[in-house]
Amino acid sequence: MVFDEIYSMHWQKVFRLCMGYTNDVDIAKDLAQDTFVIVWQQLPNFRGESNIGTWIYRIASNNCLKFVEKQKRIVKTELPTQLMEEQVVSVEPQIQFLYKCIAALPETDRIIISLELDEVKQADIANIVGLSEANVRVKIHRIKEKLTQRFKENGF
Amino acid sequence: MDSNIDFKGLWSKQSVQMPDISIIKDQVKQLKWKYMRRLVFANTLLLLTSAFIIFIWIYFQPEYTTTKIGIVVVIAAMVSFLLMFNRMYPLLMKISQTQNNQQYLQNLLLLQRRQKFMHATMTNIYFALLSVGLALYMYEYTVRMSAVAAVTTYAVTMVWILFNWIYLRPKQIKKQQAELNDTIAKVESMVRQMESCV
Repeated sequence: MVFDEIYSMHWQKVFRLCMGYTNDVDIAKDLAQDTFVIVWQQLPNFRGESNIGTWIYRIASNNCLKFVEKQKRIVKTELPTQLMEEQVVSVEPQIQFLYKCIAALPETDRIIISLELDEVKQADIANIVGLSEANVRVKIHRIKEKLTQRFKENGF
Repeated sequence: MDSNIDFKGLWSKQSVQMPDISIIKDQVKQLKWKYMRRLVFANTLLLLTSAFIIFIWIYFQPEYTTTKIGIVVVIAAMVSFLLMFNRMYPLLMKISQTQNNQQYLQNLLLLQRRQKFMHATMTNIYFALLSVGLALYMYEYTVRMSAVAAVTTYAVTMVWILFNWIYLRPKQIKKQQAELNDTIAKVESMVRQMESCV
């Protein structure tokens, strides 16, 4: 029961984090599913030392960071993904561009900005990523500047 | 700071249909099966190999100690090879996914470096043990042959072993190392991103 609630509460958030990381709907869905498989397995060990959201974000972000290892294999089996394309709701170009820009950032920056845009508190971001709060704040500021610049350059 | 662009608003508009929860639960089940199959497969292989060697031992009744040592060395080679592959996987599983990104990346890097070392070392040990074991094992049987046959047998075996050592072994090691080097470089760059913070 508990898992079902967690799943429906956090699915979109985890998906968006993975989407910001990869900018590919199918890969992001796979990563999000992997995350919930780990959540299911690890849930009995969750002691509530942090809030459950932070805990899930940690798993999801680590799963994304580990993703490099699988990248090559996925490229090889990419063909069938085109069949799934119709599932994707047509998104505004601005949204597409935002995700594209984020996925082009260095890996750890992708995680940080995704969490920030999902309204995670900066103290929690620091806790998830393992940096100090001050560092996180500076990073967010710089990333946002970079994104704004990219948006302006592209006439948004 | 972020001027007039509402990044948060844009960000939250991205969504996708939530897959049915049964997909996740099925995946968990499949994963359990996968672990089980690996375990069963590795152990069956080990058991069959040992049974085969014991059969040779009993059926052919080797008299020389060299033959027996040869058999033991060959088993040792195979066992160490299997152990290596069984060990690698759980190691990766042991890195806790619930630690923060910084710690996770550090541990991942540590593991991959260890994996790289183990791959190279174990592949060398495997080939060396197998060659030595085979040479020792053959001795008893070649002694009974005519000189020409014995020399031919050893020569053919030596060529085979050399081919393994000079061609197959480096190729195997190179392939593994190239894959690992790629992922290590990637993880190293992520660790550097973390460290490059103000």
